[in-house]
Amino acid sequence: MSESEILETHLQELRRGTIVLACLRLLVTPGYGYGLLEALGERGFPTDANTLYPLLRRLEKQGFLTSEWNTDESRPRKFYLTSAAGSRLATALTDEFRAIAAAIDELPQEN
Amino acid sequence: MTTANLTDRYVDAAMRTVPENQRGDLAAELRGSIDDQIDARVADGEDTASAERAVLIELGDPDKLAAQYTDRPLWLVGPRYFLDWWRLLKLLLWIVPACAAFGVSLAMVLDGASFGEIVGAVIPLLLTVVVHLAFWTTLVFVILERTGHETETSGPWTPDQLPEPRQKGVGLSDMIASLGFLAIMVGVVLWDLFVGFVPTEPGLSFLDPGLWPWWILGLFIVMALEAVLAIVVYAVGRWTIGLAVANGILNLVVAVPALWLLFEGRLINPAFFPSVIPDDGVEVGQIVAIVIGFVIAGVAIWDTADASIKAVRARRA
Repeated sequence: MSESEILETHLQELRRGTIVLACLRLLVTPGYGYGLLEALGERGFPTDANTLYPLLRRLEKQGFLTSEWNTDESRPRKFYLTSAAGSRLATALTDEFRAIAAAIDELPQEN
Repeated sequence: MTTANLTDRYVDAAMRTVPENQRGDLAAELRGSIDDQIDARVADGEDTASAERAVLIELGDPDKLAAQYTDRPLWLVGPRYFLDWWRLLKLLLWIVPACAAFGVSLAMVLDGASFGEIVGAVIPLLLTVVVHLAFWTTLVFVILERTGHETETSGPWTPDQLPEPRQKGVGLSDMIASLGFLAIMVGVVLWDLFVGFVPTEPGLSFLDPGLWPWWILGLFIVMALEAVLAIVVYAVGRWTIGLAVANGILNLVVAVPALWLLFEGRLINPAFFPSVIPDDGVEVGQIVAIVIGFVIAGVAIWDTADASIKAVRARRA
C-alpha cells in the first residue's frame, strides 16, 4: 500500500462514525436515500451509496429511524425520520465528538 | 430500452439472498435509489446507458450489498469465533490422529500384518482423519457464526486463562517416551504369547495362554487409553487434578485385575517355570509371582502418586 492509500484508510476509519451522527442530525426533517446521499456530500460528509443504504436500514432496525413510503410523486420513495431514541443518540454522539475534539486540542502541538 | 435490464438484473441479484419478508420493500427502495442516481447523472449530461453502468459499478457486487443489508458475515469464521476454532482444531489435531493411528496399528498387529502393510494403511488413514477433523470442526464454527450461538469457552478473557509454563516431565520427549513404552509393551506381550522368549522352548509363553484373547485385548484397550492420556497431558502442558485422577483410575484398572489373576494363579503360565527350570521350577515360580505382585502394586502406586504430586504442584505454581 502506498502512503496515500494508507492515509485514505485512516481517514475513512476516522470518518466512519460521523456518518451515523450526520444522518441522525439531517433526518430531523424526513429524507430518502439518494436525497440524503447528496445532502451528506454537500455538507462535507462524502459517503458511498453502498455504505449509506444499508446503514439507514440498520439504524431503522435499531429504532433510531422511522420510515414511511411516500407515493405522492411519480417515483415512490421511502422517507426516513429520526426517532426520539435517534435524537438522544445524536446528542450523545455530538457530545462525544466535541469531547474528542477538545481532547485533541489539548494534545501536544505538532510543529 | 434494453439498458433497463441491467438495473433489473442488479436488483434481482441483490434480492436473491435477502429474506422473503424484506424483499419487496428493499427491492423498491433500491430500485428507486438507483433510478435517482441515474437521473442525477443524466441531468449532468451523461447518456442513460453509461450512467446506469457507472451507478451499478459504484454500488458494487450485489451479493456484498445484500450481505450489508442483512448483516450477514462475509467470512467463514470471523473474529468472534476464530480463536475458539483455532484452539479446538489444534487440540483435536494433537489427539485424534495419534489415537487413530495407534488403534489401527494395534488391530493390524493383532491381525498379523507386516510393518509395510501397517505403514501403508496408517498414512492414508492419517490424511483422511486430518481432513475430516479440519472439515467438520470448521463446518460447526461456520454454522455457529451464522446462527450466532456463543461457544462454551468464549466469554470475557481473564488472566486465569493464561497457559501455565510448561511443567518439567510433560514435554514432547516425555510423551514420545510414554507412547514408545506402551508400543514396546504391546509388542513384548504379543511376542511372548505367540513366539515365546525362551529359545529352547518355542511357543512357551510367560503369561498364561488362557489370558488370550479377552484379558489381553482388555489390557491393550487400557493401554490405548493411557496413550490418549499421555497425549492429553502433553497438549495441556501439565498434570491437572482431573488428569491425575484419570491416570489413577487407569492404574487401578490394570493393577487390580492383574493382582487378582496373579493370586488366582492365572497370570503366569503354570507350565513356564517347571519347563525352564525342571528341578526347582515350582518354588522359583512362587517367588517370582510374589515379586511380580509387588512390582505391579508398586508401579501403580508410584505412577499414581507421581502424577498426583505433579498435578498439585502445577496447581500451586
